Amino acid sequence: VTRWTRRNLLAAVLAALPSASAAALQRDGPASIVIVTGQEAPMPIPTLMEGSHSNLANFEIADHLFLRLAGLGPSLTTSGDAGFIPQLARSWTRRDSLTLAFELDPRARWHDGVPVTSRDVLFSFSRARDPAIAPKAATQLRYVAGVEAEGDHRVVVRFSRRYAEQLYDATYHAPPLPAHLLADVPPDQLARSTYVSRPVGSGPYRWVRSVPGQFIELAANEQFFLGRPTIRRVVVRVAKDADARLNLVLSGDADAMDNIPPPAANIQRVSARQDLRIIPVPSATVGYLLYNHRDPRDLTRPHPILGDRQVRRALTLALDRRLMVQAVLGRYGEVPFGPVSPLLWIRHGAPEPLGQDQAAARELLSSRGWVDRDGDGVRERAGRPLALRISLPNTSAVRQQLALLVQQQFRAVGVGLELVRLEGPVWMERRSGGDFDIDFSTAVQEPSPSVLLQSWSCNGSTNVAKYCDPVVDSLLERALLARTDARGAWHQVLRRIEEDAPATFLYAPIYVFAVNRRFDNVAIRPESSWSSLWRWSVRSAPRVGTAGY
Amino acid sequence: VASWLLRRVAQAAFTFVVALVLLFFLMRLAPGDPLWRLQEGAEIGPAERRLLEERYGLNQPLLSQFGAFASGVARGDLGTSIAYGLPVTGLIASRVPATLLLGGAVLLLNFTLGLWLGVRQAVRRGGVEDRALTVLSLACYATPSFWLGLMLAWLFAIEWRLLPSGGMADPLLHPDAGMLATLRDLAAHLVLPAATLSAVTIAATMRHQRSAMLEVLRLPYILTARAKGLADGTVTRRHAWRNALFPVITIFGLWLPVLVTGSVFVEAVFAWPGLGSLAAAAASGRDYPLLMGTSVLTAGLVVASSLLTDLAYALLDPRVRDA
Repeated sequence: VTRWTRRNLLAAVLAALPSASAAALQRDGPASIVIVTGQEAPMPIPTLMEGSHSNLANFEIADHLFLRLAGLGPSLTTSGDAGFIPQLARSWTRRDSLTLAFELDPRARWHDGVPVTSRDVLFSFSRARDPAIAPKAATQLRYVAGVEAEGDHRVVVRFSRRYAEQLYDATYHAPPLPAHLLADVPPDQLARSTYVSRPVGSGPYRWVRSVPGQFIELAANEQFFLGRPTIRRVVVRVAKDADARLNLVLSGDADAMDNIPPPAANIQRVSARQDLRIIPVPSATVGYLLYNHRDPRDLTRPHPILGDRQVRRALTLALDRRLMVQAVLGRYGEVPFGPVSPLLWIRHGAPEPLGQDQAAARELLSSRGWVDRDGDGVRERAGRPLALRISLPNTSAVRQQLALLVQQQFRAVGVGLELVRLEGPVWMERRSGGDFDIDFSTAVQEPSPSVLLQSWSCNGSTNVAKYCDPVVDSLLERALLARTDARGAWHQVLRRIEEDAPATFLYAPIYVFAVNRRFDNVAIRPESSWSSLWRWSVRSAPRVGTAGY
Repeated sequence: VASWLLRRVAQAAFTFVVALVLLFFLMRLAPGDPLWRLQEGAEIGPAERRLLEERYGLNQPLLSQFGAFASGVARGDLGTSIAYGLPVTGLIASRVPATLLLGGAVLLLNFTLGLWLGVRQAVRRGGVEDRALTVLSLACYATPSFWLGLMLAWLFAIEWRLLPSGGMADPLLHPDAGMLATLRDLAAHLVLPAATLSAVTIAATMRHQRSAMLEVLRLPYILTARAKGLADGTVTRRHAWRNALFPVITIFGLWLPVLVTGSVFVEAVFAWPGLGSLAAAAASGRDYPLLMGTSVLTAGLVVASSLLTDLAYALLDPRVRDA
């Protein structure tokens, strides 16, 4: 009897799993999407997404929940007033070179049905300009002199100086928050308020729930004034491990993922699937070899090797960047001209980056007194070998592969390079402290080229290599102010930086997204991947997942 | 007995405090920027850095930081995670159910199936079943858990689509689906991570149980029991197995904390929202408050499981108590 019971118990357990397909029938139909991503979004609230909450996942969820006054158009041009599309503001006019007036769309509503008014805009600016709440936004909005309401649906923004990105600053850094829900919350309590756990926005999707460590669920905003979203339910699932994300998409447990991880064979696995399509999307990332201008042993002195511009130029000429990028990223990468990611509009029309010229590199090094006298393959000058260390984080497979190729190609011109692979926090500590010869850096950029000031101007807040060229500073200032031919002005900045070679700009990846073919009208925006999701449509084909369990 | 118990509890409490003090200072001595995770997206300038250091008390002298940590622990407040910007206690609490479920399932499998198979091997020593189970369990033991997890996910989730490839629940399951559907969904998500973790850990239980049983089965009192005419099953269950449990209790004590925080790879491969991955991310990112929070839990579990093991020994064997 015991054996019989055991057998039947086992059979019952085995039968219970497939019979759970009944549960599968209780899943939502095809009008839902599951997106898998690598980060959690615990605070998707504009003005609070700084410091600990500055991760990309927060911004992407916030872009479903909240609209800005105006959004960036398809060209992603941040300079001037022409490249923007209406969102909460149906139009805007320039009263003079220091004043912009926004007409709010009277159809705009918060998710609780309350109209969006100028009071909300004023409230949001007051919070975003408060350094105690949003130090970064407050800096970005430093040229906003005042914001006033003219009735319920007109807002006037005044600036303290003339510059080309006034409209971008006024719309991008302070998306409106609902004053009727938050005005009574003390500013320092905002991050701990109940609103944060159940945000009310104005965007195409409204908040449903968050299961920490697992997913966030959003539902279509039925009253969305720009059009009812076709996809009724959006689930953003978290899987920190890249292989787990890929498995979720390949198994049908997720419909889309935001960056198929290397190696390239993973892209082929997705491409081979008939139910999935791959979509290349320009990334906001640029990777470069940053040359320290200061001696890491004594930061008051110039770097004994890299302080010389001709040596830095020789290092750039020594590298076949196209071949390296092709070898590591295949079709999904390009060589940038200057510190410019594929996201920035100023990359269009920029000159081609220099190609490899090892003969010229050798000549430059020899002309600066670096000669291999002892025949060991490494040049010397006054007894000092031309040997450098490159610091890189051990978490980046792409940078580790590229660093090996750099080492090989430097060696060919007589430059020794030691790879120092470091744990992420240690790498960052050394980088911030200027303790490196060459740092294999990456920058994740916002759509505005003004980000270049931070790293490449003399007083840039993140200029860890202490690069300083007054000409670059003045060109940057000119480009920021340029209201005509801004692109040309920015290209002059890039040309000067390339000539000065404070870094070798090595790669700009193209990210590859995977999306189920159930969805049509699919568009992924480089600056906010899923923000146009509400315009996607869904075919009637049923969701194919692990329906058997 | 009471004084022995009190002494043992006092020792455990002292060990816990020493472990926390050591962990706090050793972690702070390790090089690395605790604000690293916040700079993965965009670098932060000196002004923002100062503000963040002030917010997380990183600009304070080490002793002040320790004082704040110790008083926080006493109040049950473990601080705010640097990477998440959320209270550590809340973060840990949100991960505990998943961890207990996975760890509990693995412990249950190990100490039911593992013990049963270990006993069977001992009883059938040298036979085909014993040899086959030895080879199989050692092969599983030698298999890296992340590789086994990836293979199982590929086979059962991607190729055959029988089980979900990751997560703890189907996010599309309707909230009104009912308890049965929810439980089935949970069970389906649990199968692959629990099987992976069990496969690589069950061998130890089996091997220890097998050798303990073999030792006991050789003892004279077993021969006496058989001579009395007792059935083989009765001898094994009632006389041999009880005395062969001691080494396994030690194993249980060792496994308990490991299963709570040590399933990092399996949690990663199956996107299981447990404490292991949280602790690993805290360590690799120098998220001191979260790291100390998970350390408090781990140290507490190690000390508590050691205490429980001793108590279990004392309960099962009066000689230990008397000694």
